[in-house]
Amino acid sequence: MPRIHLGSWAESAVSWLQTHLSWLFDAINTVLTGMYDGVNAVLGGPDPLLMAGILAVVAWWLRGLLPAVLTFAGFALVDSFGLWEAAMATLSLVLVASLITLLVAVPLGIWAARSSKVSGVLRPALDVMQTMPAFVYLIPGVMFFSIGPIPGLIATVVFSMPPGVRMTELGIRQVDGELVEAATAFGTTPRDTLTRVQLPLALPTIMAGVNQVIMLALSMVVIAGMAGAGGLGEAVYAAVTKVDIGGGVESGLAVVVLAIYLDRMTGALNQRVSPLGRRAAAKAAAAARGLAVLRYRPGTAVATVGVVVLALVAGGMNLARSGDDRQSVAAGANIGQGRGIKLGYFPWDEAVATTYLWQNILEDRGYKPDVKQLDPGPLYTALAQGQMDVQFDAWLPTTHKQYMDRYRDKLTDLGAWYGPTSLELSVPDYVKGVDSLEDLKGKSGLFGGKIVGIESSAGMMGTLNDKVLKEYGLDGEYKVVSSSTSSMLADLDRAIKKKEPIVTTLWSPHWAYGKHQLKKLKDPKGAWGKGEEIHAVGKKDFGKDFPEVTAWLKDFKLSEKDLASLEVAIQDGGKGKEKASARGWLDAHPGLADKLAPVSH
Amino acid sequence: MSSTREVYVSRLQAEHLYKVFGRRPEAAVQRLEGGADRDELRADGTTAAVIDASFEVEAGQIFVVMGLSGSGKSTLLRMLNGLLEPTAGRVLFDGQDLTALAPRDLRAVRSRKISMVFQHFALFPHRSVLENAAYGLEVQGVPRAERQERAAEALELAGLGGWETSWPDQLSGGMQQRVGLARALATDADLLLMDESFSALDPLIRRDMQDQLLDLQTRLKKTIVFITHDLNEAMRLGDRIAVMRDGRIVQNGTAEDILVRPANDYVASFIQDVDRSRVLTAGSIMNTQAGAPDGAATVPAATPVAELFTPLARSTDPVTVTDEQGEPAGVVTRDLLLAALGEEPEVVPAPRTPGAAETGKSPAAGKPAETGEPAEGATPARADEAEVSARA
Repeated sequence: MPRIHLGSWAESAVSWLQTHLSWLFDAINTVLTGMYDGVNAVLGGPDPLLMAGILAVVAWWLRGLLPAVLTFAGFALVDSFGLWEAAMATLSLVLVASLITLLVAVPLGIWAARSSKVSGVLRPALDVMQTMPAFVYLIPGVMFFSIGPIPGLIATVVFSMPPGVRMTELGIRQVDGELVEAATAFGTTPRDTLTRVQLPLALPTIMAGVNQVIMLALSMVVIAGMAGAGGLGEAVYAAVTKVDIGGGVESGLAVVVLAIYLDRMTGALNQRVSPLGRRAAAKAAAAARGLAVLRYRPGTAVATVGVVVLALVAGGMNLARSGDDRQSVAAGANIGQGRGIKLGYFPWDEAVATTYLWQNILEDRGYKPDVKQLDPGPLYTALAQGQMDVQFDAWLPTTHKQYMDRYRDKLTDLGAWYGPTSLELSVPDYVKGVDSLEDLKGKSGLFGGKIVGIESSAGMMGTLNDKVLKEYGLDGEYKVVSSSTSSMLADLDRAIKKKEPIVTTLWSPHWAYGKHQLKKLKDPKGAWGKGEEIHAVGKKDFGKDFPEVTAWLKDFKLSEKDLASLEVAIQDGGKGKEKASARGWLDAHPGLADKLAPVSH
Repeated sequence: MSSTREVYVSRLQAEHLYKVFGRRPEAAVQRLEGGADRDELRADGTTAAVIDASFEVEAGQIFVVMGLSGSGKSTLLRMLNGLLEPTAGRVLFDGQDLTALAPRDLRAVRSRKISMVFQHFALFPHRSVLENAAYGLEVQGVPRAERQERAAEALELAGLGGWETSWPDQLSGGMQQRVGLARALATDADLLLMDESFSALDPLIRRDMQDQLLDLQTRLKKTIVFITHDLNEAMRLGDRIAVMRDGRIVQNGTAEDILVRPANDYVASFIQDVDRSRVLTAGSIMNTQAGAPDGAATVPAATPVAELFTPLARSTDPVTVTDEQGEPAGVVTRDLLLAALGEEPEVVPAPRTPGAAETGKSPAAGKPAETGEPAEGATPARADEAEVSARA
């Protein structure tokens, strides 16, 4: 069987699209971003509890008093977790994605219901959309549409489209043929047959499809959070990568609150929008027993008034507040003039630390820094596309070699701020007799034959497998288990608590050396290579767009002591408060900000 | 059989209608015309649902198409209003060739001139009873107030006054079909197509609905094509009855024609279970040769045989039968009565041309099914006239 180079064809197709249709993607991007920002401004604008009130009124209208109370409690809980903004961002993304999906899916479903040919062509296409792993098109999405909510939005639309199309088609096809015939026999035009008979009767099924679309959109939006879509997905991802159990539970629960709310509300929507649903609801109400107050549901007019009043109150409060919402930037230090600058980082501790440090500094200098967490791959891609401005954690020349090789011409190296680093294997200090890589030989039984690694994509994993193990003759004896940095740290934590022997990949600087008593295994043969330096890397035009910041970053240096204390401050501050923690650390080091970002007079 | 004159007299004409499903239907029609039969076509994967069906329905007549399932009767009905396009042949209504109309014009004809009542009622479950009855008017574009008024009138006519705000799922089957009837009546269409409209109802309700239809018909004088598989229903309702088998009309005549002169064994086997005493009339079994004794009971020719039992039981004298002018036309004796009830129908082979199926009976036998309804007194005369005019 000859090798069919489908993958490389796809790759060249993507790059062709990138160069030739960028105007189209830009236009789509502008429209979608506008929609998302608009919805997000509406949902995220009001005071959280007022917004929870509005959502509760909607629940009251659709389902009754008890669901309304639970809605309010659920969203108040989300607010108390400090996840309100993320939840509203996710909700906005879900709503925009669902809207777009339905605008495409329902007409497609109608078309498919009327033509078996269309149905036959659509079916495999929908199967592909539903089963193709989302990451496969998330990354090209990033290439086309920059980092941010839009690739996530597109991926969500693709993923949630199939049930919308299928349920619409099914709904229309299962309308009793005699009814369609009756409509035709009375001289109804095909279009009126659709709007007067088929769609009203298919509506319950279509609404079930809407419900599925929204639920799938929610699940996809969370995944898209890992590609920079923001919202709860990012919160979940951040919590998971940091082994932050509490944060994971909280952000996970927030997703659940959203999911249950959306599911119950769209499920009940059918009773309000479709004549058949209203009829069924009226029947059920006639048969129901129980407290009248629990069963009472406000009419559409009453509910609308309630929502409008709450929205007006929210708008009024925002107007009143906006007066004192201005940022205070020291006179003479306003170099940024409100210019936006996008800082990207992946969840490595020194990246988190420096990114939030610089966010505070840049804010003081009048910039509007926007901080976003991404995986290294998407982040380098985004930088190369100019969709991100700068990141601070490029390990060079080894770890991030592959990215630099690939995007060398499209990136600006802003110089090293820390070095040298070192890569190593480490063992807890209670493991006696193992001090050097040479000592590992013949001790695989002690460690269960495995070395706990990090992400298989990390450069040091390649070095370890290809070079270090061979150099010391360990390659048959040990198996390197690739997982993730957080899993590695969790495993290390577990082993140390039980005083079990463990050997892990680790690097300096790392806070783990401060937290645990660990031994770095010596490397007499120098197999790990020389230490690396940590660089800040900007997009291609960074020097042109941000000349002052370029100058500051070229001179940026951080000692191991300062970095460690900053990392510890951020660790102690906890998830979601990184910015405030970095601010506190900066305040505790007076003069540092002026040293790092001097203002010329 | 389609002279220019008839076009004006006849309200609905079907001329050599064919409907073939499957590949290359036109070729199949040619083969059928060349004498191929249905089974030969089926071997090729094409299905001939209706083969060379021709008939005329006079204005104000109830024309019943009777046949077992699969005989092609529903397909035939759907070609009359263009729900199915005939593979060959024409449908003329009011002299207009429906098969030649553009879709838009066909829709206009459907919305104003032809309405339909369905087997399973086909009520729109998302509309109230009144909205259902008003549906045809809505399609016509009648303003809301007027269409509600006319729909309410139609409901009243169908015996459902006061149920306007109910929903179809709150009604029994019989009431639902009344809504279906009201929907069909509301548009004031002249032609009513009824597709096994009463078959889904239980027997008592079905009888009520039949009575109601006949009652309405005396007032409204619609042209009705009624499909059924129930011969008793066909006999009760039909001014004329066409019996279909395997896609062909095997006999077309009045109830009496079919009962007394079945065209073939198939029709004969069909009518075995029919209550002959309610279909046969005194006029059809009387002896025209014998003179009538004085003082014997006298009945009109249209009297069902069932009503002759009492006078013949009271007296040994024969009963005198009078014609429409009240003049004695013949007598019925006890022997004749018993013989009429007992005798096996004699099959009258008819040539297989559609025209012959229609004309192959005597005009004197042109009596419709007797329904026992006093209101139906006028029907026989009408049918007779219609038949005469058709032959003129």
